Amino acid sequence: MAEDPRLRELMREYQQGRFEAVDELYAVLAAALRRYLLSHVRDAAVADDLVQEAFLQIHRARHTYDSSLPLLPWGVGSARHRRRRVRRTKSRRPWATDDVAELQPPVRAEAASYAERLEVREALAQIGAPRRQAIVEHHVLGFSFKEIAAKAGIAESAAKLRSSRGMAQLRELLRSRKAAK
Amino acid sequence: MQIPLELRARLHDEYGIVRPLPSPWMRALWIVPLAVITVAAAPVAFDVRADASRLGWMLGWGASLLQVSIGFAIIGASLRESIPGRGWSRGAIALWLTLPIALVILVTLASWESSRILLQRGWWVVAGVCFAGSAASALPVVALASVLTARAYPTRPAITGAMLGAGAGLMADAGWRMFCHFTEPSHVLSAHLGGVVLSTVMGVLLTLTLRSPRT
Repeated sequence: MAEDPRLRELMREYQQGRFEAVDELYAVLAAALRRYLLSHVRDAAVADDLVQEAFLQIHRARHTYDSSLPLLPWGVGSARHRRRRVRRTKSRRPWATDDVAELQPPVRAEAASYAERLEVREALAQIGAPRRQAIVEHHVLGFSFKEIAAKAGIAESAAKLRSSRGMAQLRELLRSRKAAK
Repeated sequence: MQIPLELRARLHDEYGIVRPLPSPWMRALWIVPLAVITVAAAPVAFDVRADASRLGWMLGWGASLLQVSIGFAIIGASLRESIPGRGWSRGAIALWLTLPIALVILVTLASWESSRILLQRGWWVVAGVCFAGSAASALPVVALASVLTARAYPTRPAITGAMLGAGAGLMADAGWRMFCHFTEPSHVLSAHLGGVVLSTVMGVLLTLTLRSPRT
């Protein structure tokens, strides 16, 4: 394929300080690089990403371009390098993702859980001791209301009442804390 | 296709006028003064090998000149390799890397045929001196060539480094062999060729160290 001499001229201008040449260069080069990359990666989104990375490399290596030689093989060399690097990274770290937002480190879930636990603990501390004891013994330790009543020396219905009123108070406390935030 | 605005802004931030690099062979000329010093250092500082007259000009300075020329060509090839899109094929790289070994073996055997000098005492000491001496005399060339390749954009720095290291090692051996008169193949192929191999390793390490982290 014969290369447009205008392309070499554009690259020479880009080397010499005319930044605006980048728009025209990208328009021509990106299409050719995308075709090349698509024939290898067969995924349009990946190819588009690689085109941008390759173009960034072309920009950084622009001093190595010799305007007496065709531009396209030089550009494709950069694209090939980017493709190999990405492939190598993927094979070495297959779990790695390009999108940071996709990352969900386990510590994040743990941290959220700890924060919630702390809030519940603080809210529980504000509830009266008999109600708190009923909540903890039933909802945390798993005692039945009959067992709780026997331990506290009260009627089963009273144990149920303590627990349900305590839970209502706890809900209210947590809701007001959330609203205050 | 239109350039994404984000990419354009990034390019703009990094943008500046650049001076295009001269051709690889022009840049290789920087090596010439050091190559001359490397070849002349050992025979001038110590002495020209005792059997130089028996070897004759062709197998003496002639073979060394051939080694230097091929070493220079390999370094030039490594400078070309450091330019994106101008890398060598696998076969060519294999050729560039085996050429120094083949040449050292060839010169060793030819010298052994013309002048058989055995290393009868202190084999390890002399081997150590020749190994360290040839590797040390290659180091300045390796360093300069590594800097020259780092100024380009080596996309395969290990290969680039191996090539320039092998070329520099071959140059260093060209000088060292004009001082060391032992032609015993076991000595030359372990100590002298070992120096070339060490120089190759130094080239790889130095090029990997000096390359741009963004490469």
